[in-house]
Amino acid sequence: MLVLSRREHQSIMIGDDIEIVVLDIRGEQVRIGIRAPKDVTILRQEIYAQVQQQNVEATETRPEDVPE
Amino acid sequence: MTVETRRFGTIEFEEEDVLLFPEGILGFEECMRYVVLKHGEGSPFFWLQSLDRPEVAFLVADPAGFEPEYSPEMPPGVAQFLRLDETTPRLVYAILSIPHGKPEQMTANLAGPIVVNVTERLACQVVVEDGEWSTKHPVFEGAGGTEPSAATAA
Repeated sequence: MLVLSRREHQSIMIGDDIEIVVLDIRGEQVRIGIRAPKDVTILRQEIYAQVQQQNVEATETRPEDVPE
Repeated sequence: MTVETRRFGTIEFEEEDVLLFPEGILGFEECMRYVVLKHGEGSPFFWLQSLDRPEVAFLVADPAGFEPEYSPEMPPGVAQFLRLDETTPRLVYAILSIPHGKPEQMTANLAGPIVVNVTERLACQVVVEDGEWSTKHPVFEGAGGTEPSAATAA
């Protein structure tokens, strides 16, 4: 993993069309701004993880438990 | 064509019935081809059966059937990925989970709906981030209690 230190209002470019800006830092929270093309999906990692976890759980569903 | 499945034994399908998930389903990225099986005649439930792994099948239903308010905002890129325009017929399925022996505790993953381009048989799981819809949305009102109240409401 590439590790960079940034201060408030500094940013990082990913490729030539995605910019990540550190907007401000308050205690343990960092506010981040993202500039990216409209077709790029940006999500909090934990939402992905929740959906994935639920998919795994869903495959345990048995036909005999399905209501008629 | 036929394929072996763990839940349903050997099933027959036609090539034009195959739904292609080019990115798979989260956690099952290697399973890209599915068929939709009816749970039963007249049942609102369907099974999304993987053709790549016999044990992988998801119980699904149209979320409009139990959550009329459900119309999540699609992230940008989905329409392009699925080659959808305003007129393309599409389907939305919610993946359902039932704890063993507790159908009244059925939940629907409304944070990760399956969207299908019906014409092109192209599909993907969309992750919805509007905070409004959970991965464990109770399908029956009062789920978690002992009585499924939706079934008894007059």
